[in-house]
Amino acid sequence: MRSRGFGGFAAGALVAGAVLWSFATTDVDLSRLLSAGPRIADFLGRMVPPDPTVMNEIVKGSAETLRIAILGSLGAVLLSVPLGILASETMVSPALYRPVRTLLAFIRAIPLILVAMLMVGAVGLGPLPGIIAIAFHATGMLAKFYAEAIDGVSRAPIAALESAGAAPLAQLRYAIWPQMAPVVARDTIFRFELNLRESLILGIVGAGGIGFYIQTYVRSFQYEKAASVTLAVIAMVIAIEGINVALRRRFA
Amino acid sequence: MSAAAQIGDLSFVHQGAGLPALDHVSLMVPAGESTALLGPSGAGKTTLLALLDGRLRGWRGRVSVLGAPLDPDHPPSRASRPDIGFVFQEFALVERSSVLRNVLNGRLGRMSPLRAALGSPLPRDLEVARAALADCGIADLAERRVDSLSGGQRQRVAIARCLAQEPRLILADEPVSNLDPARAAEILTLLTGAARARGATVLFSSHQPDLARRFADRIVGMRDGRIAFDVAVGDLSDVATADLYRETTALPAIGLRAVT
Repeated sequence: MRSRGFGGFAAGALVAGAVLWSFATTDVDLSRLLSAGPRIADFLGRMVPPDPTVMNEIVKGSAETLRIAILGSLGAVLLSVPLGILASETMVSPALYRPVRTLLAFIRAIPLILVAMLMVGAVGLGPLPGIIAIAFHATGMLAKFYAEAIDGVSRAPIAALESAGAAPLAQLRYAIWPQMAPVVARDTIFRFELNLRESLILGIVGAGGIGFYIQTYVRSFQYEKAASVTLAVIAMVIAIEGINVALRRRFA
Repeated sequence: MSAAAQIGDLSFVHQGAGLPALDHVSLMVPAGESTALLGPSGAGKTTLLALLDGRLRGWRGRVSVLGAPLDPDHPPSRASRPDIGFVFQEFALVERSSVLRNVLNGRLGRMSPLRAALGSPLPRDLEVARAALADCGIADLAERRVDSLSGGQRQRVAIARCLAQEPRLILADEPVSNLDPARAAEILTLLTGAARARGATVLFSSHQPDLARRFADRIVGMRDGRIAFDVAVGDLSDVATADLYRETTALPAIGLRAVT
């Protein structure tokens, strides 16, 4: 176990080194660190009471966020159907599904907010870059899920229908689709919920939706208004979570 | 006596396997009767049944089923397939669909491809499916989902689906090996009875000699991919049956020793 003891020591030294390096090279002086607590308390104090006059902006921003999530999810579904087939072990050869799976893993590795910033740079401000970013980002996960749904289909009933003389389209409708449909529905709803949640903050980088107002109000020192919008976002996240739990119970 | 299937000098090696699964098999399956393929696991029974169902490529020999020769290189025409029904050991049902839908799936080969994929079943399809359900004693389960059924009920659904094809030859691969003895006898009574009522030929495989004796007119013994005997049920001797299940000979035993 000598080598293992050395490995443990090396790992400990590495972690200690990383922490020391971060402290030494980040300009955090002690007085600023100690005053951070009171400053945060002061900042939060200025957010009270939340300003209820921004109700219009909240409704408008939420509606736009919802539209971004819906259209972004639609885009992701449209991209994920062909890519899911191309990433399936049972539908295409390894020469095809391996690179497609690598591509999907690569897409998943790029944070949504980064994609959104790039899209804002590419197509300008507004909901469009948000929709494109959501569609792109969500495809990395959804296409993988669709591929797994395809690969999870039991072959035996398909062979039985083929043996009975059913044409390929009939096999698809009566043996393949009934097995896939619940999985596809569950995964799509799950991804839509993530899209809705993630699109709440897209506005912060200018990609449309309710996040735009948080950024605007914080930058213009209207903290009471920023507080109202933030509370609305939190309420929506909780509501989405509640709906999600209810849906999952149905599919369990 | 006419033949439902005629097999001459048939050999087949599974891809990547060394020993042939079927080794120069010649056999005649008489029409209108019930024939049992009896033998231990690995005798080649499943391979022979799948081959007769037109699902294997690359075999050698002469095979004709219901008077039409099979092509070793190409799958049989879609039109010819409903005439041959197949009952799978593991049922091969669509678990999330209803019993009636699964039985109607047996009709898909009798419909035009367009109607099968997009249309709804014709009254005649429903009528045949309902009759098959009734014959299998599961008319009251029609609307139930298959994943809520027991093993015996599932095999009844699978047989009903096969009967809905209106097959002239029914191939059944170990149709009762997953069931307890009472259930197994019920299912074989049902299968052979329904086939006789329809004038269809049955060829079923089993590893249980007592079931083969009870439900077949003819018994074909298989071992190591070869036909060991082919006799009317009354002529089956206990010696021949015992010989079918004797300890495996030199070759695998040496292999086993080499492994351990």
